[in-house]
Amino acid sequence: MPEPSDPLSERLAAAPGLPTLLAEARATWLARAERAVEAPAATGAAAEHDVDAAREKAPAGRGGEPSVRARPSTPRWRAFEDAFPTFYQFTNRPRG
Amino acid sequence: MSHDRTVSGALSPRRPVVWHGMRGIASVPSYVIMQPTTLCNLDCAYCYLPFRAADRKMPVAVASAVADTVNRWAAGTERFSVVWHAGEPLAAGRAHLGALMAPFRGVEHHIQTNATLIDDAWCDFFIEHDVRIGVSIDGDAARTASRVDRAGRPAYDKIQKGIETLRRRAIPFAALCVVSAPTAGLGTELYAFFRDLGCHALGVNVEEQEGVNARSNAFDANDVRGFWAELTAAWRADPAIELREIEWALWFASNAIDGTADDLLPRRIDPIPTIAHDGSVVLLSPELAGFRDGRYGDFASGNVTEASLDQLVDRATDRPDGWIAEYLSGVEECRRSCAYFGFCGGAHAANRYFEQGSFAGTETNHCRNSKIRLIEGVLDYARAQ
Repeated sequence: MPEPSDPLSERLAAAPGLPTLLAEARATWLARAERAVEAPAATGAAAEHDVDAAREKAPAGRGGEPSVRARPSTPRWRAFEDAFPTFYQFTNRPRG
Repeated sequence: MSHDRTVSGALSPRRPVVWHGMRGIASVPSYVIMQPTTLCNLDCAYCYLPFRAADRKMPVAVASAVADTVNRWAAGTERFSVVWHAGEPLAAGRAHLGALMAPFRGVEHHIQTNATLIDDAWCDFFIEHDVRIGVSIDGDAARTASRVDRAGRPAYDKIQKGIETLRRRAIPFAALCVVSAPTAGLGTELYAFFRDLGCHALGVNVEEQEGVNARSNAFDANDVRGFWAELTAAWRADPAIELREIEWALWFASNAIDGTADDLLPRRIDPIPTIAHDGSVVLLSPELAGFRDGRYGDFASGNVTEASLDQLVDRATDRPDGWIAEYLSGVEECRRSCAYFGFCGGAHAANRYFEQGSFAGTETNHCRNSKIRLIEGVLDYARAQ
């Protein structure tokens, strides 16, 4: 299995099984966020931010950078920074 | 591996795109890493920390000096994290750790722990200080065999006892797992283990060659891709826990297809100040703290007992020199040469240094294992469906 050399996004767009996998992932993130809103005690402070996302507020970006306003279609997912603030040096909160 | 110089990507597969994130270093971080003690009660085979057998505690005055700046930063943002790490934080003791936390206002405290010291009293502490917990464990007893005490005895039972205490007290926790040898079957096994463990989130770190850990991390490409593909399948079948790497790859893929991937990286690199026990500040890579090199010195940007933390960060980010300037040139070379830059943001500083001996290089084994083969493994899985 050689390392592919063609540009990444072309291959992402062409991967036949990926749209279905991504649709399932979005549904998972949405359901997770809705559960967090319903039961904030079980998930700690994450719920507060999911509520914010659900209200389509613009969450402040980390690192002092302004973040882009969340889109209505953005999955309300629970940010990893609740569990892994050091992850990859940046937030994965929804950005539009 | 060769890549197009201008990455054809997010906005249109046929239109060259320059990734706009990670240009220069931000003057305000999103978190700081604090080393309350150099001591760890364990002696894990792959640990990168050079002074983990010595108990050098951070004075409260150092934490107060850090808090002087951090409290102002935190007041200006929605979230700011103080991560207690780099040594076993609980080895500092509750009284001392509490005294170190006391000067901070408006921050989220995180502790990354080996869990072996967790008892009810520590759980009371976590609740009182609203601490978010990350536990380090690598799977079942056999998979966690690299985590041993100073006598070489397995720490697994003590780790599990600590985790059981967290569960009994209904304290949520994330798990960090180090994978030392990605092989077929491991992804499925690990996901089942962590699903049953009770963690709400899982991060998977393929072992890195850094610090005092000189073990090679040059793994077979197919093994690593197969490992990530297997984890993708396991998560898809039962997405009960947040699986950090796989979900991040899917999030990137979703944005790439939507044409919004260029928005994902932060506009500037987070300076990630690590404050060592003695107040010295190392930016960008906590793994560099405590090391010295003939070319780069001790990697420190100063000491909070001599200048304020924001002054130290400003000085290093406004006029980067030495290894930081070299690292920034390396990031630009990653941007120019690597098709995965939009997903990765550039090879991490410590991985460049400990694998390649400089900060100017680009693709590291860590890049291959944890970025390139990660997204390729997810793609392999998707294509096979």
